[in-house]
Amino acid sequence: MNIFLYLDENTWFHRLDPRTKIIGVLLLFGLPLAFNDPRYVGAVALGLVALGAAAKALPNFWRMRYLLLLLVLFSSVLWPFFAKGPTPLWSWGPLEVSRESLLFGIAMGLRLASFVAAGLIFLSTTTNEEFTQGLIRLRLPYPVAFAFSTALRLVPTFAGAGATIVQAQVSRGLDLESGNVFQRGRKFIPLAVPLFIYAVRHTNLLAMALESRGFSPLAQRTWYVQLRMRRDDYIALAVLATLFVAAVALRLAGYGAVLPRL
Amino acid sequence: MGVAVSFENLSFTYAGAPRPSLSGVSGQVDEGSFVVIMGHEGAGKSTLCYATNALVPRFFRGDYAGRVTVLGTEVAQSRVADMSRQVGLVLQDFEAQLFSTSVELEVAFGLENMCLPREEMEQRIDRYLRFVGLADMRRREPASLSGGQKQRLAIASVLAMEPRVLVMDEPTTDLDPAGREEVLSVADTLRQERRTLLVVDHDPDAAIEADQVWLMREGQIAAQGSPRQVLTDLALLEACGVQPPSTVALFEAMGWPGRPLTVDEAIALIQAHGLARPQPLTLDAAATAAGPAIVEVLDVDHVYPTRSVEALRGVSLRIGQGEFLAIVGQNGSGKTTLAKHLNGLLRPTRGEVLLDGRPLQSIRRTEIAQHVGYVFQNPDHQIFANTVREEVAFGLKMAGLDPQTIEERVAEALAAVGLTGYEEEVPFTLTKGERQRVAVASVLAERPRVIILDEPTTGLDYRHQRSMMEMLRRLHRQGHTVVIITHSMWVAAEYAERMVVMQGGRVLLDAPTRAAFAREDVLAQASLRAPALLRLGNWLGTRALTLADMVEELKAR
Repeated sequence: MNIFLYLDENTWFHRLDPRTKIIGVLLLFGLPLAFNDPRYVGAVALGLVALGAAAKALPNFWRMRYLLLLLVLFSSVLWPFFAKGPTPLWSWGPLEVSRESLLFGIAMGLRLASFVAAGLIFLSTTTNEEFTQGLIRLRLPYPVAFAFSTALRLVPTFAGAGATIVQAQVSRGLDLESGNVFQRGRKFIPLAVPLFIYAVRHTNLLAMALESRGFSPLAQRTWYVQLRMRRDDYIALAVLATLFVAAVALRLAGYGAVLPRL
Repeated sequence: MGVAVSFENLSFTYAGAPRPSLSGVSGQVDEGSFVVIMGHEGAGKSTLCYATNALVPRFFRGDYAGRVTVLGTEVAQSRVADMSRQVGLVLQDFEAQLFSTSVELEVAFGLENMCLPREEMEQRIDRYLRFVGLADMRRREPASLSGGQKQRLAIASVLAMEPRVLVMDEPTTDLDPAGREEVLSVADTLRQERRTLLVVDHDPDAAIEADQVWLMREGQIAAQGSPRQVLTDLALLEACGVQPPSTVALFEAMGWPGRPLTVDEAIALIQAHGLARPQPLTLDAAATAAGPAIVEVLDVDHVYPTRSVEALRGVSLRIGQGEFLAIVGQNGSGKTTLAKHLNGLLRPTRGEVLLDGRPLQSIRRTEIAQHVGYVFQNPDHQIFANTVREEVAFGLKMAGLDPQTIEERVAEALAAVGLTGYEEEVPFTLTKGERQRVAVASVLAERPRVIILDEPTTGLDYRHQRSMMEMLRRLHRQGHTVVIITHSMWVAAEYAERMVVMQGGRVLLDAPTRAAFAREDVLAQASLRAPALLRLGNWLGTRALTLADMVEELKAR
């Protein structure tokens, strides 16, 4: 089972310095945040799909298609009830939906999907080690960066163990598909306990393996992954920063919002 | 030649443990020599390994007495990170010791800790990946490698630090036969290079080439000597819970001269002394009449949605009432996938699985569990309760039985696995062999007619393997149908009546056990090999599957 999102390709994006990618993805997060008009957010989302294609990350978009679709659908359906706009479309008692709130909902859905898409492009093109190295070079202390990357690394391992545990309990007759919320909650004990114990055991072994290979968190060390900011990195950052500033300026000038107060 | 590792009267008790794990261990490993350590579970083998690189007493705290020196450095005075320059330690669990996202970064990790410059790392990564035969996998994700490749990577990542001493704690235990061969051949190259090697292994085959074999028992050294001295002392091996080489055992039981450690040696001795004459092997053509079919697999294909390696292609299998069946094959050959179809954990992509003639898909989960029980390889994937009683009763409670019946069934299941009296024990504190039994009991309590066990003997020592298999034999005699998935050829040979050999998602061979082991060519095709006793039996033309039967048959000739 492969839960990693990294795709071992050699695109322009893969070759960017992880520092560029970290700052870049933060700037990309800023773009959909600047707008709440679905046309503007939609344009950002389309741009991200194009970026994804260039970074050969579309297989991951496809893997996450249900998540992306659900985000857009749920937001579009639920947000309109909470945001109030001036042009009523439909109302039923205290519930009312306006044209603006409907558009706002769609924009919010696209905004969430854009966040996920930007994150996917980042994770598809950056290995765990590059990410860690980038964080360290951005002045994060090594022990913190190492703990962070190890935690990321353990997610798929534990997910794999979790899948086996579910199978083991289901073949003993554990029925996960029936019962109310409380009964279902209790059924997670046979899953949670073995997983917890597995996690403790596994991390203990991992700590042994790390120490046996000469690791000590505060000691001097060298790096196999060497980072270097190239011309392309500066170009990428300049373009993204310009886009970000332009987006903020547009919004401040009154464009790109169906509900300007939100 | 200098001394690489020296243990001087070493004793160690883990903090909170009632008994010492090591008591008064002394011994010397010469530089450039190859030492194999054997012994039962809990004999202190791993603790001894940890004592070479300061994991004991620095990582594991406890009462430490005596001295360990590695190339003159006193281990207890050093930090683990510093000892790692001298001693490379490869752990048994290859899943836990790999944590990087690519093969080359995995090897780089130790080198980074040594503060080597990048160019030097580059060279060492190249050199040691080539050494273990993974040079063309530099950018692969370690999780996507096979078991043997993972363990070879773990070895490379330790070797790259160029330690003077390499210690391996059961490096082949969790591997399939091909993976085992891969790791052993790496170990063999190291031995020829005269590296100092300290290896824990439970298989006597791995010890034959050693300079010294150390036998451990209850925290003490029971014997130290050449393989020929140690491995031919059957009583001592037995006492230490180590499986004796079957050729030695056969020669002793027959009263033949010589104690051969290998099949070739045995054949040479038999010919030289005219001890027995080879005959062509004749087997009864009539297959044992199996009872009515319980589970039938009909022309099943299985494709994993995530395009994983393991899959099934056109598999058909009939499991009759009262059979004892072994499914063998390499990892990725489809044996676990097949077994998971037998109780509906997986559904066929094409084809059908029938239980008593009814399609499995139409039967409820809780009902299937009452007909077909499935014991997973690792008991720790299912144990969750505070007491053994609760653990075993779990499935019964799920099925909604009344307390009286549950009580009876739990007692019955615990009796079957030999754990009567353990009802109130905390399952987590039991030994691995006992936890395995609890897992079996929890499946047995539902009184399934068929019990499937995935690798029931992996990770157990010889004694526990025997008692596990004897227990399954008892269940089989009581009328249960038993299906095991196993890498252990001698287990299949001694206990199964019928053997299914899987390869590449297909059934390569399905035959009565003795007939299957006579087909050495077919087994080789699936990268399997008959156990030593049966290879000798194939040459001699004996029909027996166990040592006792073979002795009887040879004496009757």
